[in-house]
Amino acid sequence: MKRQIFRAILTVALAVLLSGVALIMGVLCGYFQDRMTAELAKSTAYIAHGLETQGRAYLTGGLPRDSRVTWVAADGTVLFDSREDPAGMENHAGREEIRDALLLGHGAAVRHSDTLSQKTVYYALRLEDGSVLRLAETQYSLWLLLLQAMQPVALVVLLAACLALWLAGRVSRRLVEPINAIDLDEPDSAAYEELAPLVGRLRSQNLRIRRQVADLRRQREEFAAITENMSEGLLVIDRETQVLSYNTAALRLLGVEGPVEAGESVLALDREAGFRRCVEEALAGRRREELLGDLCRRVLASPVEQDGAVAGAVLLVLDVTEREQREALRREFTANVSHELKTPLTAILGTAEILENGLVKPGDIPHFAGNIRREAQRLIGLVNDIIKLSRLDEGGPTAQWETVDLYRTAEDVLEQLRPAAERKQVTVTLEGGAAPVRGVPQIVEEIVYNLCDNAVAYNRIGGSVAVTVSAGTEGGRIAVSDTGTGIPREARERVFERFYRVDKSHSGGGTGLGLSIVKHGAAYLGARVELDSEPGRGSTFTVTFPPVGP
Amino acid sequence: MRNRFDEQLKRLHVELIQMGALCEDAISAAAEALLKGDEALAETAIEKEREIDQAEREVENLCLKLLLQQQPVARDLREISAALKMISDLERIGDQAADIAELTRYVRLPDDSHALHIGDMARSVIRMVTDSVDSFVKRDLALARSVCGADDQVDALFRQVKEELIALIAADAAYGEQGLDLLMVAKYLERIGDHATNVAEWVEYSITGAHPSGQ
Repeated sequence: MKRQIFRAILTVALAVLLSGVALIMGVLCGYFQDRMTAELAKSTAYIAHGLETQGRAYLTGGLPRDSRVTWVAADGTVLFDSREDPAGMENHAGREEIRDALLLGHGAAVRHSDTLSQKTVYYALRLEDGSVLRLAETQYSLWLLLLQAMQPVALVVLLAACLALWLAGRVSRRLVEPINAIDLDEPDSAAYEELAPLVGRLRSQNLRIRRQVADLRRQREEFAAITENMSEGLLVIDRETQVLSYNTAALRLLGVEGPVEAGESVLALDREAGFRRCVEEALAGRRREELLGDLCRRVLASPVEQDGAVAGAVLLVLDVTEREQREALRREFTANVSHELKTPLTAILGTAEILENGLVKPGDIPHFAGNIRREAQRLIGLVNDIIKLSRLDEGGPTAQWETVDLYRTAEDVLEQLRPAAERKQVTVTLEGGAAPVRGVPQIVEEIVYNLCDNAVAYNRIGGSVAVTVSAGTEGGRIAVSDTGTGIPREARERVFERFYRVDKSHSGGGTGLGLSIVKHGAAYLGARVELDSEPGRGSTFTVTFPPVGP
Repeated sequence: MRNRFDEQLKRLHVELIQMGALCEDAISAAAEALLKGDEALAETAIEKEREIDQAEREVENLCLKLLLQQQPVARDLREISAALKMISDLERIGDQAADIAELTRYVRLPDDSHALHIGDMARSVIRMVTDSVDSFVKRDLALARSVCGADDQVDALFRQVKEELIALIAADAAYGEQGLDLLMVAKYLERIGDHATNVAEWVEYSITGAHPSGQ
């Protein structure tokens, strides 16, 4: 812009200068010619006077040297000429100035020579005798004059041009300075009135851009916050398999340490065959699901399409360890249930067949019938336990929550178990005092019953069971200790599984579901189950209930 | 210009990873086929070998295009020339995996195969291939050097397997043919180990600019 302004100013200045010089020249030229004509007229008048008073002799006397004097008779015949022989000259009657002089008394004319470099100014005056006296003076033409004056003029033009150059530079700098000084981030409209709309627009656009950038950042942060808190791994890749976006879960699940460099290929994170297939298929525009080699991770890849072409893909990495484990547990449970249900039924069926075929002596019938009853009872117990468990699985019974006293519950349960304990000669003791807890009475009773039942059932003959109830700041607590065989360290987690038995021979009876019911019941009530056991010495199960609210 | 170059370099990187992964697949499939006697896996290994050949040609083309069109210098040049050398080693790994897969059709491991260390050898070699590709992917100098170290272990295992096979054949001359086939398998594995070492050395060269063999 500065350059444009500079150029414009300079052009204007030079144009003015040159046209000024040209105009002055033109005007001066006309002026010179007029002056010359006037002087010629004066000289002519002098010479005419001389001629009239002194006659022809005057002409041969002192004539001005630089002028040409011609005396022409009234008929046009040249009588005298200061430069040439009058005899050789043609008739001058036709000349413009002579004709005018003959007619009007005086006449003037200007004639250019062929080369245009000279012009001759003529002045003619009619004398009293009718003849005409003419003076001619040669003058250099405008071009020649100009050429002669060129040196000083050029000097002037040069000086003026330099001045114009300097001024133009200064002025243009001055003009542009305020525009340069505008702060593009925080523009104010102080500079020029003409710039006010521009600056205003700039300011409003700055504001809008800033707001949009903030919006974008917020959105990105929201997106990051959402994806960061996902337990699933999320990866977004472009067509060249470069990672565009990812979350920490993805890195964890793919076993990658440290951040992913920009432009890193997703295949650098994991190049297992299944993973690669997913990436390839997704980038070819097809959805794909794969279980990765260790069966703990599932990859879901979906193509991202833009304008009908695949622009990239989204990969979801899921940790399916838990799901796989649950699936395995479910399969195991189904198999176990079938097996556990089949065992008593087979016994019942066999006994019934023997009875049906009359192979039993009448005296033995009660014994066989007793077998059937025991097995049926076991079946009922099993079915009951399964029903209880499935209720807990579905979210527990709909019964009301109440405040339950653990001590009272324990008392009731031990009362129920007394016959069984007496059969095994197990001493049962109950210590502690009232411990109110919040819960569903039915479930609390199930927990206490199953713990005590196990303590008696898996005890040795003549052993003892100690139940301790206490109410601490932590909440109500019941501990059931026995003097049974104890639980080996490796089985401590598994005893809470359905149908798991430490003693694989099933000799103790029971359904194998008791501790599972305890675990699920406790979880339902928000209580904590702990197991402490020493093989050969006995086990202690402790259930700690959450504190009763105010 | 530089952008396009970077893009192509990245593509080279990705294609090399893919080729490395194919090699891992091929050698795992071949080893699995050997140890479990699974014909289908042997087919997979041979199939992978063809893909590896294809990949080699593609990477080679890409490298040449980069060299001719971009005329890289310094580190970029090193990376591309290392890539050119690496793919020939990777291609050999694929070939030898396919050779092992071919042999598994005729070879049955002896019943007391635990007495034979060929399984250990296969596992060590797979580990080497995985580590060499990993060292390239992560530009991990320490890992690349550890691959070179692991080669000695594989060589020792090869000698051990050879002695074990000699003992087997000495005990039962009828086992001679099988024994020789197994020796070939062991030799192929040992060669794969060498190629994995080469790959790791080229990785080291592309990172440090000095080839560990001292050239």
